[in-house]
Amino acid sequence: MKKKTARKRPAVNKVYYIYVGILATLFFVFHTIPFLRGVLYSFTDWKGYGDWNFVGLRNYLHMFSDADTGNAYLFTFKFAVIATILVNVISLILACALNAKIKFKNTIKAFYFLPYMLGSLIVGFIFNYIFANLIPQLGKSLGIQALSVNILGTNHAIWGIIAVAVWTGCAFNTLIYIAGLQSIDTDVYEAADLDGATGFRRFTKITFPLLAPSFTINMVLSAKGYLMVYDQIMAMTEGGPGTSTTSIAVLIYKKGFGGGQFAYQSANAVMLFIVVVLISVFQLRILEKREEKLG
Amino acid sequence: MKNKKIISVLMVGALMAGMLTVTGCGGSSDGDSSAKGGKTELELFSSKAENKDVLQQLVDKFNETHEDVTIKITAPADAGTVLKTRMAKNDMPDIVMMGGDNNYTEVESAGMLVDLSDQDYISNIQDSYMQMVYDVNKDKEEKAYGVPYATNASGVIYNVDKFEELGLEIPKTWDEFIDVLDQIKDAGEQPLLMTYKDAWTSLCPWNSMAPDLQPEGFTDDRKEGKTTFVGTHEEIVEKYLTLLDYAQDDFMGLTYDDGNKAFANGDSVMIINGNWAINQYKSANADLNVNMFALPASNDESKNYVTSGVDVLLGVCKDSANEDMAKEFVSFMMEPENAQTYIDDQFAFSAIKGVEQNNETVAGVKEDIANGKVANFPDHYYPSGFDLSALISEMCLNYSNGMDNQENMDQFLKQCDEKYDIANVD
Repeated sequence: MKKKTARKRPAVNKVYYIYVGILATLFFVFHTIPFLRGVLYSFTDWKGYGDWNFVGLRNYLHMFSDADTGNAYLFTFKFAVIATILVNVISLILACALNAKIKFKNTIKAFYFLPYMLGSLIVGFIFNYIFANLIPQLGKSLGIQALSVNILGTNHAIWGIIAVAVWTGCAFNTLIYIAGLQSIDTDVYEAADLDGATGFRRFTKITFPLLAPSFTINMVLSAKGYLMVYDQIMAMTEGGPGTSTTSIAVLIYKKGFGGGQFAYQSANAVMLFIVVVLISVFQLRILEKREEKLG
Repeated sequence: MKNKKIISVLMVGALMAGMLTVTGCGGSSDGDSSAKGGKTELELFSSKAENKDVLQQLVDKFNETHEDVTIKITAPADAGTVLKTRMAKNDMPDIVMMGGDNNYTEVESAGMLVDLSDQDYISNIQDSYMQMVYDVNKDKEEKAYGVPYATNASGVIYNVDKFEELGLEIPKTWDEFIDVLDQIKDAGEQPLLMTYKDAWTSLCPWNSMAPDLQPEGFTDDRKEGKTTFVGTHEEIVEKYLTLLDYAQDDFMGLTYDDGNKAFANGDSVMIINGNWAINQYKSANADLNVNMFALPASNDESKNYVTSGVDVLLGVCKDSANEDMAKEFVSFMMEPENAQTYIDDQFAFSAIKGVEQNNETVAGVKEDIANGKVANFPDHYYPSGFDLSALISEMCLNYSNGMDNQENMDQFLKQCDEKYDIANVD
């Protein structure tokens, strides 16, 4: 150790410091400061304009007795769990298929990546049309009652949103999995072949364990993304019918800006931030432990 | 681990891009009234994007006759929020044009507007609309901080040709209305089209029925906690649920835009909405013959009001450096000729006595409006955090899931009271 510290460190080019410095300043001014202000306002009764007073923890305590907030958390967790699992399962299957030696591989890859390039509002509006017009027509002509209504106007609206979220989300997740698959040494597969591990067994014993880092990233990122789901819902149902698809982010926007509850919803936003951080840390712990065990 | 690094780099990149666009949006609303090149510039803040063209036309006319003054229109998106933000910054425009709703109440109660009660044109305004502005003033003060200008109407819009074909008469009472609905149903036509995918449209029948049926003074008493929705609104909910029996299948899944096109193409005989939707029907089918009548919620004809609210009012801001000129502009707008230009363009009604909307698409409610047989939208008096449309939409969802009407009604009214109390606190 002593030897190492005694050795003169090579001079770092100043350009790096300048570059990082600019970004850090921008990040601080436009991201950290607004965030801290939001935290500050969550302890006040500010309406979004005019005077305000500190009210201590009132906003936070109110959250526990507010049924709207409770329902929004329930919906969001349900949505996040289902969407995270579906996205990862489907992406993994897609990635394995696309990694195989099939024809037109790159064309198909580009095709699957397309949803990621479209804005989620545009995707939402397109699917709005599909759910409102195309699917009901199909359902009617086939005589299937369940398909002949707009799913976004029923109790099952959550499934319509999940379908769209999964369709969009698969693109990015598949990409990560493909990258992970390509980094697996082909020697390992050859060895497995010699030992007689093929097909599904090869996947569970070799491929999946070696994909652990990609799996961790995908699980954490998609869970975080779906806990904060907002744009798809605003484009498709605006939280309706009733309040049945109101996620926390949608609730914060609707009540905070439209309903004059700016301070209270700031508290809600801080709470959402804490929840997302806790869940992400928890996931990282578990999944990284798994990586170590496998490594 | 390499992947993680790539991702974090990507994410930082995405964040940076996002931030740059956000900063690009700010700081574009500097609308101080100032003298430029000897000309005084006044800012007119309008919260309605739909009327920008006709407003510009009127402003041009004003600018022509006033050589030393220019009026500049600002009509941003999400105008209510923008105005409140500017109020916080003490950067108010000279003249405001906005709805007679809770945004107005907030501006007025902050003491931002000049009392215009002493102006000549006030005596020319219909009492019922002037009263609506008083009602949304702080403490219901009877002073004209806002001058009602254009008004709207909500009710039943019907396809005139189909009505004639089926030999139907305009219903004047609830029983007659149900009779008409039944006749249409028996003739194999679709009586009502509902577009509840857009939850706000579910408020239209409510707003049309509640003024006829709710107890007198309900909105005030409810605010003070003297009464509840439970025990007073059963009849309204019952009739609301009856109307749903005449809606098309999948009424929860139809959007406002698609529904308007369907109605314009004759898919249904009636639709419950407001005069603001007529433009849409006409652009989908120019040959469509429509007219409007007030939804007769009561069997007592005298109680069946037209639901009509103040869509646009004019106000002069207190700290304006050019208050006199701003007042002059308001009185220019109130001249019958100019008011007529405005409502003709907008299919709207005027709050000024003698200025009538002569378009036949709204002829059925014209007389009641001219006679002042109008009631304001009840939701203008609810607290702004009380999202009634979400509650109604939930009730309708329960209905379409086959829930028992009585149970549905009890649950809905209980929710109304709970949510109202929560919203009324802050």
